[in-house]
Amino acid sequence: MSLGTIVNGVKPGRSSGRPGLFLAILTPVIVVLCLFPIARLIFQGVWQEGAFSAVHLTKVLAEQETWRATWHSLFISAAGTIVSVLIGGVFAFLVALTDIRHKAALVFCFMLPMMIPPQITALSWLQMFGPTSAFLKMIGLAPPLGSRQPLYSQWGIALLLGIQHASLIFLTLRAALRQVPREQVEAARLAGAHGLRVWRDVILPITSPALIAGVALTFVTAIGNFGISAMLGIPANIQMLPTLIYSKLSSFGPSILSEVAVLAILIGIIAAVGVITHHHLVKGRDYRLHGIVGKPLDISLGRYRLLVEIFVWLVLFFILIVPLIALVSASMVPAYGMTLSFETATLDAFREVMFRQAATARAFVNSFGLSIGAALALFLLTVPLAYGMMKRRNGLAQILNIIIEIPYALPGIVLAIACILTFQRIPLAGISLYGTLGIIFIAYLARFFVVSLRPVVSSFQQMDPNLEEAAQACGASAARRLIDILLPAVAPSAAAGGLLVFLTAFNELTVSALLWSSGNETLGVIIFNLDDSGESVLASAVAVLVVVVIIALMGLIEFMGNRLPKGVIPWRS
Amino acid sequence: MAKLTYRDVSKSFDDTPVLNSISLDIADGELIALLGPSGCGKTTLLRLTAGFEQPSSGQIFKNDALLSGNHRHVAPEKRNMGIVFQSYALWPNMSVAENIAYPLKIRNLSISAIEERLTEALETVSLLDHADAEPSTLSGGQRQRVALARCLVMEPDAVLLDEPLANLDAHLRDVMQRTFVDFHKASGATMIYVTHDQSEAMAMADRIAVMFDGEIAQVDKPQTLYRSPASEQVARFIGQGSILTGNVDGIIDNDHRKVILHGHEVVARHGANNTALAEAQKVSLCVRPENVHLGHAEGLAARVKSSVYLGERFRVRLEMRDGTELESYSSQSVMDGELLNFTLSDAWIIEKSR
Amino acid sequence: MRKSILSFAVAAFAATPVLAEELVLYTSQPNTDAQQTVDAFMAENPDIKVTWVRDGTTKIMAKLQAEIAANDIRPDVLLIADMVTLEGLKQQEQLQPYKAQAADSYDAALYDSEGYYYSTKLITTGIVYNTGVKDQPKSWKDLVAADKKGMIAMPSPLYSGAALIHLATLTGDANLGWDYYKALAANEARAQGGNGGTFKAVAAGEKPYGVVVDYLAIRSKAKGSPVEFVFPEEGVSYVTEPVAILKSAKNVDAAHKFVDFLLSGKGQDLVLSQGYIPAINGSKVPEGFPERSAIKLMAFDPAAALKNAEENKKRFADMFGVK
Repeated sequence: MSLGTIVNGVKPGRSSGRPGLFLAILTPVIVVLCLFPIARLIFQGVWQEGAFSAVHLTKVLAEQETWRATWHSLFISAAGTIVSVLIGGVFAFLVALTDIRHKAALVFCFMLPMMIPPQITALSWLQMFGPTSAFLKMIGLAPPLGSRQPLYSQWGIALLLGIQHASLIFLTLRAALRQVPREQVEAARLAGAHGLRVWRDVILPITSPALIAGVALTFVTAIGNFGISAMLGIPANIQMLPTLIYSKLSSFGPSILSEVAVLAILIGIIAAVGVITHHHLVKGRDYRLHGIVGKPLDISLGRYRLLVEIFVWLVLFFILIVPLIALVSASMVPAYGMTLSFETATLDAFREVMFRQAATARAFVNSFGLSIGAALALFLLTVPLAYGMMKRRNGLAQILNIIIEIPYALPGIVLAIACILTFQRIPLAGISLYGTLGIIFIAYLARFFVVSLRPVVSSFQQMDPNLEEAAQACGASAARRLIDILLPAVAPSAAAGGLLVFLTAFNELTVSALLWSSGNETLGVIIFNLDDSGESVLASAVAVLVVVVIIALMGLIEFMGNRLPKGVIPWRS
Repeated sequence: MAKLTYRDVSKSFDDTPVLNSISLDIADGELIALLGPSGCGKTTLLRLTAGFEQPSSGQIFKNDALLSGNHRHVAPEKRNMGIVFQSYALWPNMSVAENIAYPLKIRNLSISAIEERLTEALETVSLLDHADAEPSTLSGGQRQRVALARCLVMEPDAVLLDEPLANLDAHLRDVMQRTFVDFHKASGATMIYVTHDQSEAMAMADRIAVMFDGEIAQVDKPQTLYRSPASEQVARFIGQGSILTGNVDGIIDNDHRKVILHGHEVVARHGANNTALAEAQKVSLCVRPENVHLGHAEGLAARVKSSVYLGERFRVRLEMRDGTELESYSSQSVMDGELLNFTLSDAWIIEKSR
Repeated sequence: MRKSILSFAVAAFAATPVLAEELVLYTSQPNTDAQQTVDAFMAENPDIKVTWVRDGTTKIMAKLQAEIAANDIRPDVLLIADMVTLEGLKQQEQLQPYKAQAADSYDAALYDSEGYYYSTKLITTGIVYNTGVKDQPKSWKDLVAADKKGMIAMPSPLYSGAALIHLATLTGDANLGWDYYKALAANEARAQGGNGGTFKAVAAGEKPYGVVVDYLAIRSKAKGSPVEFVFPEEGVSYVTEPVAILKSAKNVDAAHKFVDFLLSGKGQDLVLSQGYIPAINGSKVPEGFPERSAIKLMAFDPAAALKNAEENKKRFADMFGVK
């Protein structure tokens, strides 16, 4: 192993005491949050009238469409993940390690595409490259009405999934790249490596745990993504697992839950295989960095800098500006399909959703509370859990790893069904969470556990174990070490995870779609319901407000930035 | 201050044995070096002492109080042992002063007491000017001194040093060696010093424990270790000892024997528990280069294989007729391939492996 | 700050207290319509408080089925998309019958003879086209003309119950049948998510012709969308947003009142004012619609549609090359 200097020859610590306790305390929490709902759903699939029954199991597994959809899901998600890695990886590299200018603005802008509902992005692209495209008409390349749309294909779905999830790779990777010590790259350069070799031989191996974690997360996110697979896959006649599930649900029969449960088992198996693969890839990669990370790298782009900058902003133009313009203009027309001009432009939709519909304001408060609450609660849960898992790499940690992955991999609607089945009545306590924000909150915790945990775990994997041991020798207890030494060390990654949770939860739709009730609407629900009721102008207006609020929030965080630990805010270096 | 005792300590990782039945007593206030090639288990022994690992079997005691063993384990944070890592392990989120004061903060000392001891420690390691610096801005030597100071302020029962000088250049290493020795003298603390560098161990340690393959081959004072290695392996590892074979040919006194070596008679020392040497028994001799004298008309014959100029003299590698090689010093230059005679002024009969 | 978080938490986790005269409604009506319906009913019955949940039919049904499985059914009444879905619930023995007085004023095809469900309105499915095209279709058959190749969007029966009903209706018609769908497939008609997506594709000009429900197109046209709606010569398929009472209903009395209200003249006038065709015999039609007598409804049997649902889906998927 050529990177001997950064590799700690010592096996992972096995000292007893508190770390194991963290694991012991948190295991029941995970079991209740993540395992119970899934188990209850599986039970629904194989339990008929008081006895085990494989009827639905065999029926669903015998159907050709099941395996076709599985193959499509695997293939398209893999292709989408590659796109995410390319986009997110290049951005993370440029922002974290090079002398590209306007980094803060770049990162700021790169976070936003996640906030634009994927159907808006898809629609704006469809319009941009479709027959009515003002852009194509302008340059005289508009295809005739009714032409075939290239986005309605496997590659189109993969491309959009890739763009939608690029921020996942970006955020996990960027935190890791920041920890690459300058010395190691300089050593490689002196050894005669340059350019891509430095990347391949030094940076890539050092950051590989984070990259692998990011890839696993992105892939699983893609598997469970319903919005894009429905938006592009249905018209393209390509069925994927989430759309197949939706198709089952829209049947008239009473057996829908059981069949959906069987498909959920299938997705659970895919997720479990993914976790095991992830584990095997990370195993034997003990790239813990020793000592102090010096100044982060600053690779000079030299004369290519302007070229690279133009390229980067061009990409942002397509993945952010164009959909954003489409979104804003869709919110300012009196009716859908009308062209926006100075005569037709109106702010009526905003007036309507902001001042006349109380539900919008309520949804902002609800979504805000739920997503901040979930991000904070998960932060408090995942840091000690990741610590315990790092200290005890045993079978239990492995199993927990698989369990937390499944609620995230399932399409949101399936998780929601599972949550209704499980938490409708809390046994013993006799209280019901169903019909309150509580059940959405619990579902969010289950769903986003893995999003919050992964970056923290990979950060722990990268950390010099001596840092903690030094504190231990100083007499610091496990809790003290966690707060004084480990938390500051993993804070950037934990914050990245928290931000991911917040951003995904803020306009999340598929989970809350089944769990909301009157007064407990979320933003995703509001947008979807308006859109579904034919009020797409109002829906666009709410979506615009969401983006505006997110930008304002990011501005507020920026404003408070000086008081936060270094590296916590992703768009600050 | 503490004495440390190891009883039959063994340690395996995933069924790979790393330490095999280590027994060792470290006296109160002693500076002992754990010396051996990489992978010999010396760092693991240190980590067992600190409590970062638990022995698979055996016991470790501090002043007769059990630290590890018999299914009991005192957590590292309860052992009051300071440790200095090769990587320094300074916390990047704290300034130099905060790093050093951390153990005091943990012990809930009053602010004034912390201030006082912090200033004292900063003075000791000459870092008063860098109190507010971030660790990442310091040089390697400065970082090492911060790590040492952080260890000092807590007045530990024992100080554990894990290759603390491996990342420093030669000059700094000398300076830091002196710093460690001074500190040891001043504080009287028990110190365990892990290193693979024998000159470092020789220069600093009261005693050296030489380790190979998870076992302690020999524990002795540096001079004893040099003059009377317990095994061929130790003899070769320490001070370029050469190994020659001969046959016992009579007793001189209680601890000297005559040995016939290629027809020549040599006087050789032997250990107190190596007295049962039979007449004509084949023995291995450890010969140090400074005891091989060249330029005599008579004596053993050898051919010069190579020579290196060291400044004050030459180091010469000789090859005897049967192919055995040995090292020697010469004040004059010699030619490669030249035939020479040599005599031996001292030789040590190595005990047959137990 | 702390206080507001606390109050948020309290508000979030405290379940709403249950009133004596409370009626829980699950509906797939659009938001504003649902609110109007509930408001009008509560104005008539001030002692009954209606809480309602609105979502797409698929989601509402998934929610309901989960509740059934968990044995904790929340709604008392359903007011959702179509008779087939309610026929399914009836056969699952989740509904209770109610003999509504007003049933006499309705076509027998529009309610269950045993009184398990009653249609409240007619939502027909016809043809919508973007005004940017020259050629105006008049019949279903016009969509399979060679010059419309690749220009048609329609909701997919795999994902939309209403589209499956449309399919069942048209394939059950002697003149159209499965051959018609075969021709649509050959003409590269694109089946997509639901009515909303289809309408957008047409309004945006991405696909100039589409198959959608009447009110979506007619309302948007009134607001200025560049679209026109056609009731084809052969007739239209329809869904009826029926109302039904759950077997587990806690407040059966209020549920009866709710059904009566929807079927009453007042209730039907509300439907009209919302821009739908009321189900009641001899009613007026909203602005922009042709005379009620000019709208020809194609024959439809909910029970048969339910029975053939799986089969129809499979056939469609094969025909349209769903991969």
